[in-house]
Amino acid sequence: MIEEPYRWVEAIANRREYIETQLAAGSPIAAVGYRDGILFVTLGRVRQKIFEIYDRIAMGAIGHPGDIERLRLAAIELASTEGFTRSAADVSLRRLAHYSLSPVMKSAFEQVYGAPFLARLLFAEIGSSPKEDLFLRIDYDGAIAADGLTGQARQRFAVLSGTRQSAELMEEFLQKEHVTDAELPDAINVAFDAWSIGRMAIGENASKELPERDAIRKHRDEQLTNAGIEAAVLERGSKSGIRYRTLADEELRSSLQR
Amino acid sequence: MDKPPLALDPNFSGASEDFPAILRRKSLLQSAPEPTAAAGNRTFIPTESTTILAFKFAGGVLVAGDRRATAGNTVVYDRADKVLEIDRHSIMAIAGVPATAWEMARVLEHSFQYFRRTQLQEMSVDGKVRALSKLLRDNFGFVMQGVGVVVPIFATYDGNSKPEARLYFYDAMGAQFEVTDYAATGSGSPAVRGILYYENNWGDKKLRELNEDEAIAIALRALDTAAEADTSTGGVDRSGKIFPLIKTVSRDGITTLPEEKIAQVFRQSVA
Repeated sequence: MIEEPYRWVEAIANRREYIETQLAAGSPIAAVGYRDGILFVTLGRVRQKIFEIYDRIAMGAIGHPGDIERLRLAAIELASTEGFTRSAADVSLRRLAHYSLSPVMKSAFEQVYGAPFLARLLFAEIGSSPKEDLFLRIDYDGAIAADGLTGQARQRFAVLSGTRQSAELMEEFLQKEHVTDAELPDAINVAFDAWSIGRMAIGENASKELPERDAIRKHRDEQLTNAGIEAAVLERGSKSGIRYRTLADEELRSSLQR
Repeated sequence: MDKPPLALDPNFSGASEDFPAILRRKSLLQSAPEPTAAAGNRTFIPTESTTILAFKFAGGVLVAGDRRATAGNTVVYDRADKVLEIDRHSIMAIAGVPATAWEMARVLEHSFQYFRRTQLQEMSVDGKVRALSKLLRDNFGFVMQGVGVVVPIFATYDGNSKPEARLYFYDAMGAQFEVTDYAATGSGSPAVRGILYYENNWGDKKLRELNEDEAIAIALRALDTAAEADTSTGGVDRSGKIFPLIKTVSRDGITTLPEEKIAQVFRQSVA
């Protein structure tokens, strides 16, 4: 029986490889802070990938639609009951991720006889000031990466992609180009460029380093002709408590033409 | 490993469970007892001491309510808010026991949002009307115990429905009645219904042709008339400068009319 732990480690490693392969083709999602809020952007052909979770929380996801849906509904239910019992201000993304979603995803991932969640999630929560904004990513194994939970300097952006390399290139680009107090149209452009970089780093002929600006724009324009744009914002100044708003296609395309 | 207290149910499906059902499953919403006859020989006396009115006018639907809250013969509060926004295009105005009514409004507000977020579409007008009806029906046990009667008005505006402005009143058991022109509920409502009926049939204009200022004037006159005979209706408190709460709902959403505006119409057309 001494070999049991090794089998388990091996099983976990196989499972990780399997999930990574499954997720690898996922179209990237970029979330960037701008002057008046947080913008989520992606392009897709098949299905919706950006969702409203609660008054101040939005989610982007790649993975299996069934798993995404289960996690999404669970997140909405948890946030809604908390918001109903106490108040909208007491709904916390930090707790939602650390206390509820992460343990469940970790446990599903490690129980090798059950099915793991084929999903990678990106959340953002808008605060009353940019300093209180929170970006948070949960991986299929329950691992959490956050921007805004510790005292370190904030980047105010986060990305989600099918492969590590794609995500790293997007981050590298945003570290250089992202301006935290940009106007919305500028933020839309930067976010779409980041998306294009992420997309170019996926699949065959994947780019291994940051492409030239012209190449990014060319790729972006090609994609725009045959894929649907999806974008939403969490607006700090919204009059109602509900900060989430889906951006219309025209608003996005007119910003992009500049 | 113990499941964390908020763990996902492995069989969680999310299918067709409405928000009140989730709250009950989590023991966050009290279920009313089975409706039985009123205890002892007490006669069942519905207490709905207030006056709420709503009517369609040229700019959509106007909903108005006085501000007085009473307990028996005592006035407990003179700035109560009985006209509540449920979502961007829906108003619920309440007559009845405030604790139950406000909780019901809160459940309703969260239900609509929960539906929109989970189903990725707005709940239909029929769905919203039915949701309130179910809450009233579920509450009927408390009504029969004499502790929780709520008789609301529901006004909503939906660009996709015909007519676009919709107005409903309810009875305490949850039956909904759609009206074409106006509705009133609460202890002062007989007087208000008389005025609205008269205005709609023999007034200078039909209610639905009134502009905003004219509509406000009618609403204020009606509430003042109700307060004349009904101790539970605050009407307009001239000395304290407390005016009724008036909201309108149209294609653009809900507007809470500013107090100065109401005061101005009051001076011109009522006082």
